[in-house]
Amino acid sequence: MRLAGAELLDSREILPDQWLQTYHAPELVAGARAGQFVHVRTGDYSGLVLRRPFSFNTIDTLAGTLTIHFRTVGRGTEWFTRLRPGDRVDMLGPLGRPFEVDPRTQHVLLVAGGLGIAGVRSLADEAIRDGRQVTLLFGGASARDVYPSSLLPDEVEYVVATDDGSVGHHGFVTELIPAYEAWADQAFACGPLGMLRVLSSLAASRGRRLGVAKLGRKRGAGRPVPAGSPLARRKAFLQVSMEQNMGCAVGACLGCVVLSTAGAPQRVCREGPVFASEELDWEGGW
Amino acid sequence: MKAKRRVVTSATGERPGLAKRRPTVRRIKPAIAPVVRRAPDIRGAVSSNSAASATSTRISAAPQKPVATAPDVDVDLSVDLGRGLVLANPILVASGTFGYGTEYADVVEVQRLGAICCKGTTLRPRIGNPTPRVTETPGGMLNSIGLQNPGVDAVIAKYAETWAGWQVPVIVNVAGESVADYVEVVRRLEGVPGIAGIELNISCPNVGKGGLQFAIDADAAAGVTAAVRRATDLPLLVKLSPNVADVRPIARAIADAGADALTAINTLSGIAVSPSRLRPLLGNTYGGLSGPAIKPVALRIVYEVSQVVDIPVVAIGGVTELADVLDYLAVGAAAVQVGTAIFADPTLPVRLVDELAAECRRRGLTSFAPLIGTALPKRAAAPSSKGVEYRP
Repeated sequence: MRLAGAELLDSREILPDQWLQTYHAPELVAGARAGQFVHVRTGDYSGLVLRRPFSFNTIDTLAGTLTIHFRTVGRGTEWFTRLRPGDRVDMLGPLGRPFEVDPRTQHVLLVAGGLGIAGVRSLADEAIRDGRQVTLLFGGASARDVYPSSLLPDEVEYVVATDDGSVGHHGFVTELIPAYEAWADQAFACGPLGMLRVLSSLAASRGRRLGVAKLGRKRGAGRPVPAGSPLARRKAFLQVSMEQNMGCAVGACLGCVVLSTAGAPQRVCREGPVFASEELDWEGGW
Repeated sequence: MKAKRRVVTSATGERPGLAKRRPTVRRIKPAIAPVVRRAPDIRGAVSSNSAASATSTRISAAPQKPVATAPDVDVDLSVDLGRGLVLANPILVASGTFGYGTEYADVVEVQRLGAICCKGTTLRPRIGNPTPRVTETPGGMLNSIGLQNPGVDAVIAKYAETWAGWQVPVIVNVAGESVADYVEVVRRLEGVPGIAGIELNISCPNVGKGGLQFAIDADAAAGVTAAVRRATDLPLLVKLSPNVADVRPIARAIADAGADALTAINTLSGIAVSPSRLRPLLGNTYGGLSGPAIKPVALRIVYEVSQVVDIPVVAIGGVTELADVLDYLAVGAAAVQVGTAIFADPTLPVRLVDELAAECRRRGLTSFAPLIGTALPKRAAAPSSKGVEYRP
């Protein structure tokens, strides 16, 4: 975790109310991995007191740049859209735990709901770099919300579902899962809670429905995997990137928790944002 | 014991202005009021002080030259909160905003803080409230964490050893649902190396009294303070709630019950509405408002409380820059806690230490004591309508 200045290089509205910004922040990019995030300070004095967390949308270690992708939902995100190239912001990062891809995984399934694309986008780059095949299932409300394919690597198979059927599959993105779950070795998802909940139940029953052997049966069979460890995530079929309102983003304020199956609150900023889906309590807890 | 001895050792430094306090005596000469009325005398006394004479001559030679951010070598920022709890400087980090001091260690020079108030600690582990737990509001934020913590035993096991190795005193914030809870937590903290003091969060519902908060009733607040006082020799701070009609009788009752210092203020109760307007936003409906939005309220309460108690008042509420620290000192605070602003700017508290030292140098002061209470009424105020007597 480092605190560093970042210079805005490029800022554009890629979709209505959705922005993609490129920052030059070599200190933060070094060692950053897909799934982690930065906590960015608003430089305004008009009453914004909290930083804003953004997933690494893409990470370019060589150039020392990162991109963030966000929707303008309030005064904080609007403040970011008014920044101009050359402006500097204060970033804290890289924060949180990354996605863990099993070394034996060949087929990577990414599932994004709306702005959840920001959470899994950089994993596409990472997986392709490591020679894996990547399919991205994207769900949006309508054609105007669909992430532009021009912003994805050519190697990615991109499948779209829209609620109104204006482009791609007519329905929820989760309805596309049966066509891909047998192909996929591991899946990684980010999006609305409802979507993640459906995915998690699909993942839980996947082994039974498909009759597939679980990864990791040979190596470390019978040895317990410590909950929340990188190994636990690596062995999970589905890893999810969770979202919560955040205060400090370093684990001090306990504002951003989700419940584990053991009933223990897990900090999204510290133990997450990436969790093995079977480690989370999807029934609501509390 | 190690921790306490370490804290007392640092008390041997010069403490002009606040030096008259005897740490182990409960009710003693006012720590703050005399400084207010005799500020010039104190300053005179400081410059005639042998230890400070070299410094003061240098300052008089170049009084206007601001010293940038050098460590505070010639300005004494130490502050005595009573019972041997002497802080190296008056900038504390507030409970709940700095975890257990370890979370921010990567980016903050934790050891340079005046003290760390750790996350609220209860007897048994608490899972906390449903999410969302935090939300930003104009000029502030609401939180309803619900006192999530692993329980006092786990806190001691996990952090006490680390704290004992630290220079910075750690004050454990204690919460409970009954007097017995508070007493038991404090008893377990007593004598543990690394624990320099206790801050009582009395804004918790008293289960034994139908859920009424301790902090809103003078008798209940005094009761829990007295019980804890009997259970421990650790320095005891009690955190006042602003959600009361008149805080002064409560502050007086707590001071009389044996608190060494008061913290003012806890968060203001508030709610936010979800964007769909179908329910309150926070999982727990109610949250505590903090941040710059509450500073005027906190200033008012510190102003009122510091005039009716003889013990130090630690101010908290919306500190984001040095001007806020100076404001709180001016209304009688002996020290200041930084809270919500840490989330935006984790390095702020340490920077405030440097800035306060630089400000003292700029004014030709060798201690910040003359800055305390300058905005309080100069003469003994007439007794208020509540009948609170003024004690010189």
